[in-house]
Amino acid sequence: MNNELAVEAVNLTKVFGRFKAVDSINLRVEKGTIFGLLGPNGAGKTTTIRMILGLLKPTTGYVRVFGIDVEKRRRDVLKITGYMPQHFSLYEDLTVEENLYLFASLFGIPKGKARERVQELLREFLLVEFKDRLAGKLSGGTRQRLALAVALVHNPRLLVVDEPTAGVDPPLRRYFWDKFRRLKEEGVTVLVTTHYMDEAENCDILVLMNRGRIIAEGSPLEIKRRAFGGDLIDLEVSGDPSWVLRDFVVLEREHLGNGKFKVRVLVEDASEAIAQLTKAFEKGGLRVHRVYPVQVSLEDAFIRLVEGG
Amino acid sequence: MALAALVVKDIKQLLRDPKTLLMVLFMPTMVMAMFVAGYGRGGGAVPIAIVNLDGGTVSWQLVEAFRNSRDFTVAYFAPTSEEGVALVRRGMVYATIIIPEGFSRGILRSEKVCLEVVLDSSYAAVSELVWEAVVVAVQEFLKAASERYGTFAVDVVRTTVYGPEVTRVDLFTSAVMGVLLHLVPMSLIAVSISREREKRTFEQLIMTPVSSTDIVLGKLIAYSIVTVADMVFTLAIAVAVFGVRVKGAFLDLMVVSLLLLMCSLSLGLLISVMSRNQLQAYQSSVFFFIPSLLFSGFMTPAEFLSPEVRVVTRVLPLYYFLRAFRNIQLRGWTLMDTAEDLYVLVAETVIFLLAAIKLLRLRVE
Repeated sequence: MNNELAVEAVNLTKVFGRFKAVDSINLRVEKGTIFGLLGPNGAGKTTTIRMILGLLKPTTGYVRVFGIDVEKRRRDVLKITGYMPQHFSLYEDLTVEENLYLFASLFGIPKGKARERVQELLREFLLVEFKDRLAGKLSGGTRQRLALAVALVHNPRLLVVDEPTAGVDPPLRRYFWDKFRRLKEEGVTVLVTTHYMDEAENCDILVLMNRGRIIAEGSPLEIKRRAFGGDLIDLEVSGDPSWVLRDFVVLEREHLGNGKFKVRVLVEDASEAIAQLTKAFEKGGLRVHRVYPVQVSLEDAFIRLVEGG
Repeated sequence: MALAALVVKDIKQLLRDPKTLLMVLFMPTMVMAMFVAGYGRGGGAVPIAIVNLDGGTVSWQLVEAFRNSRDFTVAYFAPTSEEGVALVRRGMVYATIIIPEGFSRGILRSEKVCLEVVLDSSYAAVSELVWEAVVVAVQEFLKAASERYGTFAVDVVRTTVYGPEVTRVDLFTSAVMGVLLHLVPMSLIAVSISREREKRTFEQLIMTPVSSTDIVLGKLIAYSIVTVADMVFTLAIAVAVFGVRVKGAFLDLMVVSLLLLMCSLSLGLLISVMSRNQLQAYQSSVFFFIPSLLFSGFMTPAEFLSPEVRVVTRVLPLYYFLRAFRNIQLRGWTLMDTAEDLYVLVAETVIFLLAAIKLLRLRVE
């Protein structure tokens, strides 16, 4: 048992009928990180999360949250875990404040403390003006804020959020990620799923899922490097660069006219390679117009990983 | 603490659902009014039976007088007094008139003759009606017969027996209460847990450390509170507005009704736990109600059913309710007198609840 792990999932598999939604995956979420589960719709992210929370019984494998076995001691896990499901799951015929109070008492928070906590959350999540409105009458963004507030009502050590930003406008998306970072600073571990590749860059550690399997794991940078086997650099030079680049992996080469070429080179580490390459070209008498590391997106990496593997 | 929070939550949700609330509050009164309109007043002639042990000409003239009465119809002629009384006991007729042997001879000799009327006292109002009609018919007969046969006297003797109190008019209070306290709460609560599943609130709810006992009891208590008010209201209306007569204690009827209510809610919860969605839950509760409708003594006395069907009858909560309710309402029994039926109701409630708690899985699959 590793004390540094917030979530440890071992050999998790979930079979629905003949369909293998999750295929023997292993996850190790370290405490105090923002851990992202990234993948297209249908990759098995929600199923994985539900197994972690004990909402689904794994076909095989087991999950521990802060070392506590979810199958055997689920109630203990729930006391320290907050969950914001993919779809709005609060009581639409209760008001914002009533929903918060309900969940506070379901978590066994004493009345006085609950009142304090609810007021605090109303302020923090900009819900004060909506507190008497029925949850069913809220706009999408406000609902999402309420859902997150409810997930945090008992100050959990682990926050699990399933697609928090699906169908949410950009300012609110930023708001959410700011919140996750602040929670991380407070020591909360955040496990988040998303199919937005761009926002996944905000995670400390990412796991890429496709068709129920993990296809890559690591920091966003590591994943990109793994996808391409290193960093990418674009160069624009006058003259044929082939000779200078004979020891490098050239991915693309394009003649721009007037003896100008644009090449994309794969290197181990971009910052070292740029200096090295510039020097080599100048030695060879070629003029380097531009040289810059390519901003590989996770999307590029993902597509490459899926196609390659 | 969690339980109290769940109770408050479920009550709030119930009160904020105007359609359901309307159904719960107004359906009982409406059904009651419809029954009263359909069965309560007037109606057809009351069926009676005649046992003519005399067989003489004069006795047949008396029978003819009864047949001419518009207040009842002679539905049966029984060969013996025993069979005549049995017809009353079985609820086939409201009364049996027995003409003793020697009736004709006695009249011809201007002697004092007897006439026995066996009344079903389970339903006092009808008995009185029959009694009055018999007296009137006998007087008509006297008038006509004295002209022909000279003076004589007919002494009408009145005896009463308890029928199975399941004739048309008797039915309506117990039957209406039975339907209202069985089908309405059962179908109402049957959709409660499946609605939480369908609206996905279940997923958030079971992410808190609540137990399945909390969820089941929370719903039971909340729905009891809301529907008990309804039950009291309906019973009070039945007695105060529609003039339903209660021989036993009104409070005893309340207790019996409350027991059925709890039993129906528990059965509804069990259905809810076992259903995948609201539609299925609703259909199941209607489906569960059909045997109650057919075999609980609701329409035909359970005693008339075949032995095979009576096995089904014995598991139906409505059967025990109807027995207890009618015994108190019509015969003036006390709770102690009908304790056996009440024990079964309580036992079934406990079984349904335990099964619901046991079967409620705190998972989303």
